[in-house]
Amino acid sequence: MHWVNVAVMLVMITSGWGIYDDDVIVRGFHFSPFWRLGDWAAWSLNWHFAGMWFLVINGLFYLGYGFATGRFREKLLPIRPAEIVRTVVDTLHLKIAHEDITVYNAVQKLLYIIVILAGIAQVVTGIAIWKPVQFSGLVSLLGGFQTARVLHFAGMTVIVGFLIIHVTLALFVPKTLWAMLTGGPKLKPRTRVEGGHAT
Amino acid sequence: MTRAAPLRLLIWAGSVAAAIASAHAQSPTPGGMPPPPGMSLAASTAMRFPQPVRVGDLVGRDVLRPVESQDVLGRVRRIVRDHNGRIMVVVDFGGFLGFGARPIVVPIDAMVLLGQDMEIVAYTPQQLRAFPTFSGAGVSDAAGDTVIKVGLAKPSH
Amino acid sequence: MRSPFRPDSLPDPAILDNHRPLINSLERRGLLRGGLSLGALVMLTGCDVKRPEAVKSALLAISRLNDDVQALLFNPNKLAPTYPASMILRPPKFNAYYDVMNVKPVDGATWRLEVSGLVADKRPWTVQDLQALPQSSMVIRHICVEGWSYIGGWSGPTLRSFLEHVGADLRARYVAFRTADDYPSSIDMATALHPQTLLATAYGGDTLTDPFGYPVRLRMSTKLGYKNPKWITAIEVTNTYPGGFWEAKGFPWFAGL
Repeated sequence: MHWVNVAVMLVMITSGWGIYDDDVIVRGFHFSPFWRLGDWAAWSLNWHFAGMWFLVINGLFYLGYGFATGRFREKLLPIRPAEIVRTVVDTLHLKIAHEDITVYNAVQKLLYIIVILAGIAQVVTGIAIWKPVQFSGLVSLLGGFQTARVLHFAGMTVIVGFLIIHVTLALFVPKTLWAMLTGGPKLKPRTRVEGGHAT
Repeated sequence: MTRAAPLRLLIWAGSVAAAIASAHAQSPTPGGMPPPPGMSLAASTAMRFPQPVRVGDLVGRDVLRPVESQDVLGRVRRIVRDHNGRIMVVVDFGGFLGFGARPIVVPIDAMVLLGQDMEIVAYTPQQLRAFPTFSGAGVSDAAGDTVIKVGLAKPSH
Repeated sequence: MRSPFRPDSLPDPAILDNHRPLINSLERRGLLRGGLSLGALVMLTGCDVKRPEAVKSALLAISRLNDDVQALLFNPNKLAPTYPASMILRPPKFNAYYDVMNVKPVDGATWRLEVSGLVADKRPWTVQDLQALPQSSMVIRHICVEGWSYIGGWSGPTLRSFLEHVGADLRARYVAFRTADDYPSSIDMATALHPQTLLATAYGGDTLTDPFGYPVRLRMSTKLGYKNPKWITAIEVTNTYPGGFWEAKGFPWFAGL
């Protein structure tokens, strides 16, 4: 599921850049053709609206699984501010522990929550700019069509920012890559509770 | 395009910073074409279906370069008449986010309307940089409800 | 709990019935094959792209599926937000598939609007004929597929009143347009009958000017900008999919807002 997500996310992001370039939001900044998916805007748009289905279906499975099994509650909560500071300081000193990769540290938890929320926000702002008349109430809630469009762009930058941090840190801790590729180590629930970090 | 996709995705994952570095690569665009060589500014405006617009509606508009990245050249500060009665646009030119801009005077016929914005189609940024700083001498303000005619352009991309 | 994304009133089920032949006419095999190859493509992050045409036909098959989803989402009674006249952008924003210098003005005195297809009265129309119909006005947001938008004020007869006047078969599937600038276009009947679908002859209270489609253009509050042809010369009511200029190049046909 993770790798379907990766592929679909890359499709959504790069095709989104192709659509963005038709009318830039940040004046003076556009993506050169190398970074766009689709020969030109129509194909970027078609990629975007095809990828949409895969993303939504995959996303629903992921959220459904996360909530139904209690995985989110167990792995992502609670987050303590002091723990975040400690992990950031440790990371900046290149001390990335990860003795037990089944336990997320505070920064990981925070980043995963941010990216899950950003993903949901992308769906909501995406629906608003896709159907601004049928869902005009949603558009005015978001502050108007152009604001919704900017928010959709901002959500993309949050997700891309997450991906950069996520991939960089994963490369620092090679053993997580194996888990990412195979879907994670299979451990008994009890060993999880006994893991290194306080959860 | 699709042939390059795996390569692109691979490089994408590693170096988004490069995208920002390459962001200023420009491509020629069909919108906001400069006047053909040798044609007067007035004659080129006449070909762009000039439309009536209130002077007061132009003040404050962004002035863009007619390229895909829609670079901001400046902002419309005032509309004036020179000593010959010709309509000129005082543009706060250059700077960054409005800081460090200086006023220059651009003939209205060198500019076009692009929706809520304006574009300078007859001069390149290099040429505009050589424009003298506007001193305010020898011109008079055009009243806000004066209606002038300005040519059109389609979006550039 | 009721989903906040559901329209207040559900679309008329008749729309689905009206579109049943269209849905059935979808190339199922193409969709299946396309969906599978696109799925494979997505999963392999573009490893199977030796046949870009197959990818494009897969994308187009999904785009047609999306057209049907959009038709289901379309609520014929839902009005787009309107704005005060003071917000109208004057003049409006120009766009076409060519530069503004290549606009070919139309002579309103000799202009005639051809009417054909599933209509009772095929007599051509003059500008005066259009002005004799009841006039409507709306100040709406024009949204371009490129992402930009502006507030525009449009007036003219509703397309519905025109279609009723010529005795069109309102159960037909499509209304198609031909234009002086060779920009064929077509829309679904449900949108054609929407109260904010006008045969616009004026902008901001003044007669349309040449670059904006004089003497008559389509203006719909419920579709993207490219679905609104300018300089209309012919209207046809038909059950045969008529396509359109950008649609033939890859953009979606329904393009509803």
